[in-house]
Amino acid sequence: MTVIARRLAGHLARGFVMILVVTTISFVIIRNIPGDPMRARYEKLVEQGMSPDQAERATAVLYGFMPKGTMWEQYVDYMKGLLRLDLGQSLSVPGTGVTTLLASAATWTILPVLVGTLLSFAVGIIMGVYAAIKRSSKLGDVLAVSGSLLHGLPQYVLALLLSAVFTTLLPIFPTGGTADVTLEPGLNAAYVGSLIQYATMPVLTYALAGYGGWILAMKSSVVTVLGDDFILAAELRGLKRGFIFRYVARNAILPLFTILALSLGLLFGGAIFIERIFTYPGLGLLLLNSITDRDYTLMGGAFLLITVAIVIANIVADMLYTAIDPRVRSGQEAS
Amino acid sequence: MTAPTIAGGNTRATLRRNFRRGVWRALRRKPSRMMGVVILGVFTFMGLFGPLLYPERLPRDDNALYAAPSWAHPFGTDFEGTDVLALVITGARYVLLTALVTAVITVALGTAIGLFAGFRRGRWDAVLMRITDMKLTIPALPLLLVLSTIWKFTSAIEMGLVLGFLGWGGVARAVRAQTLSLRERGFVEAARGLGLSTRHIIGRELLPSMAPFIAMNTLIAVTGAVYAQVGLFFLGVLPFDANNWGVMLNLAVFGGGALTTTTALPYMLAPLLAILLLTLGIVLVVDAMDEIFNPRLREE
Repeated sequence: MTVIARRLAGHLARGFVMILVVTTISFVIIRNIPGDPMRARYEKLVEQGMSPDQAERATAVLYGFMPKGTMWEQYVDYMKGLLRLDLGQSLSVPGTGVTTLLASAATWTILPVLVGTLLSFAVGIIMGVYAAIKRSSKLGDVLAVSGSLLHGLPQYVLALLLSAVFTTLLPIFPTGGTADVTLEPGLNAAYVGSLIQYATMPVLTYALAGYGGWILAMKSSVVTVLGDDFILAAELRGLKRGFIFRYVARNAILPLFTILALSLGLLFGGAIFIERIFTYPGLGLLLLNSITDRDYTLMGGAFLLITVAIVIANIVADMLYTAIDPRVRSGQEAS
Repeated sequence: MTAPTIAGGNTRATLRRNFRRGVWRALRRKPSRMMGVVILGVFTFMGLFGPLLYPERLPRDDNALYAAPSWAHPFGTDFEGTDVLALVITGARYVLLTALVTAVITVALGTAIGLFAGFRRGRWDAVLMRITDMKLTIPALPLLLVLSTIWKFTSAIEMGLVLGFLGWGGVARAVRAQTLSLRERGFVEAARGLGLSTRHIIGRELLPSMAPFIAMNTLIAVTGAVYAQVGLFFLGVLPFDANNWGVMLNLAVFGGGALTTTTALPYMLAPLLAILLLTLGIVLVVDAMDEIFNPRLREE
C-alpha cells in the first residue's frame, strides 16, 4: 500500500507543478497580447470618469489580477485569484464569471466524450480480439488496416465526412446546438429525445475516432498474451478454445484500462474540432470562441480546465495501472 | 576506423543487408504495402512539382462558381470558379513542407534527448524525462490555439518549427526506451569494453541500429504535423496567406456552407480525400515497418 501512496503523492506533486506551469503560460500570454487589452480597458474606465483606484479594481475584477506593480506582484495576484477559483469575468459575455461559463460548457463535453469513448472501447475490444486471433487471414488484415486508418485519421476528417453523409446528403441528424430550441427543456420524452438526436453525431465521431486505437491496442495485447506460457499450458492440457478465449481476453484487457483513462483526458483536447463542426457548446467551442472574441480571461480559464482534466486523467490512469499490475505494487518498476 | 566484429558475423554491413532484405520481403508479402509506397511517392511528387504544373495564378471561371464535378473539373470549382483539383495539387507543397520541417525537428530533438537521457541515465535522465512528461501532458492543440493569439505562424517553415518544438515528446520517450534496451546488448558492451568514446558509441553503434525505428517515427510525425496544421487553418485561427488544404476546408465549410448544402460539398471532400489518401499511404508503410521491427506481430 505504501507504494501506491507514495506514487499518488508523487503524481499529485507533479500535477500541481503542471497546473502551475499552465497557469504561468496563460498569465504570460494574457500579459503579452499585442495591444495590451488590460491597459486599454483601464484607460477607458478612467476616461469614463472613474478614479484610477476604482478603474484598477474594475480591471482586476475582469482579468483576475491588477495590472500594476512589478510583473512578479501581478503574477502573485493572478495566482491568489486562482486559489479562490476566481478566474475573473468574461469579457465577451458581460457580467458573467468565467467559472460559470466553464461549468455549463463542461457538461456538454464530459457526457458525449464519456459515452463515445466507452462505446468505442466496448466495440474495439471485441474486434481487437478477433483481429488478433485471425491475424493471418484476410479478415484480420482488413480489421487491422481499418483500425490503423481510423486511428490515424484526425477527428475533424471523421467529423466532416460523417457530417457530409448524415447532415448534408441525407439530412437525418441535425447539426448545431444541443436540442431543438422550440422544445421545453426538462425531463420530458420529446426534449430528451431531441438531446439524444443532437448528440448522436458528436458521440458517433468520438466513438469512431477512438475505435481504431482500441482495435490496435487490444490486438497487440492479445498477441502478447497468446505468446505467454500459461496459454500453451492450457492448450496442452486440452482446454477448449472458448476457455482460452476467455483467459486471453481477460488478461489482455487489463493494460487497456489505463489507456482508457488517458484517452478520456486527451479527448478533451480533441473536442475542439468536433464541437466546432457540430456547433456543440462544450469546452472546446468555448475555448475557440474565446479566441475569436479575444476574451482573454475566458481563454485562460478554458485552457486551464482542459489541462486539469488531462492531468487528472493521467493520475487516474497511472493509479489504475498501479492497482492492476502486481509488479508495480510490489515496488518494482514496470517499464 | 573499423567496427568491432562480433561473433556470428553481426557486423553493420550484414545487419544492413539483412534489413534491406527484410524490408523487401515485408513489402512483397502484401500488395497493399506496395500501394502505400506508391501513394507516398505520388504525394512527394505533388509537393515537389505540384505548383509547377499550373500557372502561378490559377485560372478562374466567373461563369462556373461551385460548378458540379465534371471531366474538366473532377472535384468541381470553388467560390471563385477555380478548379478544386488544381487547388489540392498546388496546396500540397505548403502542407508537405510544413510536415517535413516538423518531422525533421521532432525527430532530431526527440532522438537527441531520448538518446542522451537513455544513455546517461541518472540525474540528467530524470530531469529530461520530467520535462518530456510535462510536454506530453500539456494539450498540444489548445496550446497552439492559445499561442496563435500572440503569435502568427506566417510561413510554412515557421509553422513547421513551432509544431516541431511542440512535438518531440513522444519520440524522446520512445527513443529512450529503445536506448535503454540497446545499451545492454553485446555490441554496445563490446564497444564500451574497447574503450571507445561515448560519441562513437552513440553515433556509430546506437544510431544505426535505431535508424529504422527513427524512420518510422518520422513518418508518424509527418502525419501528426499534417493534421495539426490543416486543423489549425480549418479552424480559422491563423491568417490565410497561401493556398493549402486547411484553408480550403475552412472556406468550404464556413464560407461555402458545405455542411448544409451540397453545392460546396466536392470542394470540402477534395482536401479531405487528399488527407485520407496520405494517411492511408503512411499507415500502409508503417504497417510494413511495424512487421519488420516487431517480429512478434509476424505470423509463426
